[in-house]
Amino acid sequence: MENNHYIPKVARIINIKNEVEGARAIKTFRTQFAGDDGFTHACGQSAMLSVLGKGESMISISSSPIEAEYLQFSVLKTGRVTSALHEMKVGDMIGIRGPYGNGFPIDKWTGKNLIFIGGGIGLAPIWSVLQTALGKKSDYGNLTLIYGSRTSKDLVFKEELRGIKQEMAVHLSVDNEEDRWEEYVGFVPNNLLDKNPSPENAVAITCGPPIMIKFVIKNLQDLGFKDDQIYTTVENKMKCGIGICGRCNIGPHYVCKDGPIYSWAELKKLPQEY
Amino acid sequence: MEKILTKKALPQWLIKLNAYQIYAPVKKENHWSYEALDKPESIRLDHLNTIQSPKMIIFPQREVFFEFHNAEGNTLVMKEPASESSATVIFGVRPCDAAGVTHQDKVFDGHFKDLYYWKRRNQTILVGLACNTPPSPHCFCLSVGGSPHSTAGFDILMTELEDSYYVESFSKKGDTLISLAGDIFSTPKENDKKDKEKAHSDSEKKLKRHIKDLETVPPKLKDMFDSPLWEEESLSCIQCGICTYLCPTCHCFDINDEKDSSSPLSGKRVRTWDNCQFPDFTMHSSGHNPRPDRASRLRQRIMHKFNYFVTNYKAYQCTGCGRCIDKCPVGIDIIEVLEKVRDYGK
Ligand SMILES: Cc1cc2nc3c(=O)[nH]c(=O)nc-3n(C[C@H](O)[C@H](O)[C@H](O)COP(=O)(O)OP(=O)(O)OC[C@H]3O[C@@H](n4cnc5c(N)ncnc54)[C@H](O)[C@@H]3O)c2cc1C
Ligand code: SF4
Ligand code: FES
Repeated sequence: MENNHYIPKVARIINIKNEVEGARAIKTFRTQFAGDDGFTHACGQSAMLSVLGKGESMISISSSPIEAEYLQFSVLKTGRVTSALHEMKVGDMIGIRGPYGNGFPIDKWTGKNLIFIGGGIGLAPIWSVLQTALGKKSDYGNLTLIYGSRTSKDLVFKEELRGIKQEMAVHLSVDNEEDRWEEYVGFVPNNLLDKNPSPENAVAITCGPPIMIKFVIKNLQDLGFKDDQIYTTVENKMKCGIGICGRCNIGPHYVCKDGPIYSWAELKKLPQEY
Repeated sequence: MEKILTKKALPQWLIKLNAYQIYAPVKKENHWSYEALDKPESIRLDHLNTIQSPKMIIFPQREVFFEFHNAEGNTLVMKEPASESSATVIFGVRPCDAAGVTHQDKVFDGHFKDLYYWKRRNQTILVGLACNTPPSPHCFCLSVGGSPHSTAGFDILMTELEDSYYVESFSKKGDTLISLAGDIFSTPKENDKKDKEKAHSDSEKKLKRHIKDLETVPPKLKDMFDSPLWEEESLSCIQCGICTYLCPTCHCFDINDEKDSSSPLSGKRVRTWDNCQFPDFTMHSSGHNPRPDRASRLRQRIMHKFNYFVTNYKAYQCTGCGRCIDKCPVGIDIIEVLEKVRDYGK
């Protein structure tokens, strides 16, 4: 029988971690499919999460495909569905359909230095590829993460960041001075200039608020990165996730199926507001 | 297969089709609309264009994707509703509306197939009526690759002659409909064929509206993203969404949950038509909206139909039915907008 793409598969929440508290709270959920009808994903793909009775939200899968036992999602509480997700407890059931989107072209990146540049919740979409690269470190050159948020409390994956510091270069930042903050103070794009990574044999992968992405790309270009060495993700409102509901287009592209990951060489050819 | 059916015999044909659900145009107070036809003898094919295209039958305005409830042991159950659709014949379809169905087919048959659409689509037989006179003063099918006697999308096309219909079938399904009432059809004579051809060529001359050189518009649109034209042309739009709801090609939809009970949880997930002319169509939950004003939304409507769709499917996403012109409450006229695009900067 052909697949009904609109009916989610049932999954159980097996773990919840509070990443960020407060008005813009972020929680990380791990889920396991209840049946044997689950799916495997590629780095950078997303899934539609259902809280039945509330609706669906597209969320990046932040776990690496190497971790096959669970899927991980980091969710910023912002509206109907994401708030309902934040109310849920371990053992509760959600619906998941996917995986959607094109994923990062990591096969093309073997042997290259990878520079990850993230802001706020924008670390989630690149976390799966970062973890995958760490898992197969010998396949890549140097790995660098430049990541920041407004305050140190708004950083996600705080524990994990401490862990990966042993294995790769991690440069954190916060927007304003804070007590006991020993790393960079300022915006992510400025921290990027400060760390001055070489474009030689490198690929830069960036995700975060649109304004951050804009300046990161500009600064990468100033550092000598070519348009096809820069990858970013695009966020648009989504419903179907499969290129039919007509909502998420930029020009003739449907971000849900043709994106959300584009090299700057591809993206700059598309309209800049949609 | 080509046949002649006398006008008098039309209801008899329908009687033979009693195994099918039949839709036909029905006259309401001040418009025509497709309705399930209970009495075959009430069929009339002298209709102007229906207020809605047969899109509403194949891709209904609201449809249940699945029902859900919370079951014993904290599990979720999601179940597709039992299928209620049966083999359906839609009579009297205008060529522009059948063309609209073929455009929707392209969208719902992409990399991901939409099974809900195809379940009904595969059971639907389209029996058309050529437009000997244009059913709307705003018809412009000839300009967008169609014609008043186009056969695209049809299983059967009927052309009205003096006392009869010239009936042409293009598919197995169409042949079956004819063979179910085989004895009431006769073989066309040479002059029937001539009459039909004359009706067809005359009908083309009766169309009042045309867009010259439309093929220059898609490449031109590529460089008009930031044009002030969109602002000028959209100033009067009140964002009612009529233009896109009534469009036989527009396919955008929303998906929402309708809760019947919170505890124990039960409800339905439903698809409903949505509309690119509404502000919240693209509004993120952060409040950011990549299409924040009327100008950007009119631009999307025109770009989608005459640039993006052309890029993706090599066809205009417009069939010239004229509904959006007829029914826009503030008189925004897609032909005029396209002409302005064509002539822009000249
Ligand atoms: C490819 C992609 C990956 C994403 N990854 C993440 C992630 O890893 N973590 C995270 O916290 N958020 C992510 N988002 C954003 C997330 O989808 C929205 O914040 C979320 O859908 C808001 O839903 P809501 O019901 O809480 O908000 P409401 O404002 O109540 O939204 C109602 C509905 O509109 C749609 N919608 C509204 N805003 C957005 C939006 N910005 N993007 C997509 N759909 C939207 C959803 O269907 C949502 O259910 C991602 C978005 C995209 C497009
Ligand atoms: S029908 Fe006219 S007023 Fe209504 S949304 Fe369309 S263009 Fe605007
Ligand atoms: S979310 Fe429906 S087309 Fe992309």
